[in-house]
Amino acid sequence: MTTIEIRKAITQANDRLAEQLRQRFACHGILVLNLIASPGAGKTALLEKTIGALGGTFTINVIEGDPYTSLDSKRIIHAGGGSVQINTEGGCHLDARMVSEVMDRFNLAHTDLIVIENVGNLLCPAAWDLGQDATVVVASLTEGADKPLKYPEAFVRAQVAVINKLDLEPHLPATAADLKNNARMVNPSLSVFEVSCLAGTGLESWYQWIAAAIKTKKERRGRA
Amino acid sequence: MHEEPYTQAMLDLALQEAGGKRITEIRLGVGRFSAIVPASVEVFFRYLSAGTPAEGARLMFETVPVELTCTVCGRIVTPDIPPQAPIRPALGAIFKKGCRCGAGKLTITGGLGFDLIDLTLGDQGSIAPGGEAGE
Repeated sequence: MTTIEIRKAITQANDRLAEQLRQRFACHGILVLNLIASPGAGKTALLEKTIGALGGTFTINVIEGDPYTSLDSKRIIHAGGGSVQINTEGGCHLDARMVSEVMDRFNLAHTDLIVIENVGNLLCPAAWDLGQDATVVVASLTEGADKPLKYPEAFVRAQVAVINKLDLEPHLPATAADLKNNARMVNPSLSVFEVSCLAGTGLESWYQWIAAAIKTKKERRGRA
Repeated sequence: MHEEPYTQAMLDLALQEAGGKRITEIRLGVGRFSAIVPASVEVFFRYLSAGTPAEGARLMFETVPVELTCTVCGRIVTPDIPPQAPIRPALGAIFKKGCRCGAGKLTITGGLGFDLIDLTLGDQGSIAPGGEAGE
């Protein structure tokens, strides 16, 4: 009997592939966001708004992860974005292999932003690197303010949190202040945007952040 | 369902590291915040490893505790949250209390992952599947 020490993350193979994807995206100067949220938090609504506001200036392509349907992909195309659909057939997250299989369906030479809309789930998508520049977690007030404490991994691994459905705040026990506090408790360096995709409020600073991040990525084109 | 892709990734990594040798034991580090249920990994492993050199291997799970680091003084806190205790109130209370330095906020720096710690390989090298298992 021989025992050999390994001490490696289970996701090592995925992480390696994700790193290769990151290099490829960097060659083209494409900003890549991994968008994570629970079902119904407003990931697709946020993208529809973003494409509406920035689609005239930037080419925005979306990889849509969904267990079975292409409903969200249709919404993205209707909003004016490019979209490819990944159906996970019940799988609860996207992985780097899935992204690598579809990314060339976009014209990468003419893409400014790729958003990978992950499967609606706050548990495991955060653990699988997709080659993104930043992970954005969307949390809505209808889910309650305690989600960052219940699902810390998604918030710990994210750089940006978008708090959605602020228009419903008067009708709900959860407050944006509590949700923001809990998110920052788990991850003090999180950038937080407070928006209502339905009412179209609070989105200006989110658009500015995206536009600035796209420009920064373009300036660094070729550098991983 | 949730543990299936993790188990497949773990099995792939173990087989690759074993280089074709028979695996009799796999020691795994499961982060307290990894959302991995060892019993589910066991079930998927029995099914996925069938016919591979890892068939019949014993899985040993070690819990990797939550590790919190102060953003100001850098102190590392490893809170003792009992295995069956709900994390949320315990974690909330710890965060609210903050670091004893008084200035810093705590941030989670450990206990999120799922790692392969080590492998025990059989002496007889590569054998046909269906041989004696994990004795």
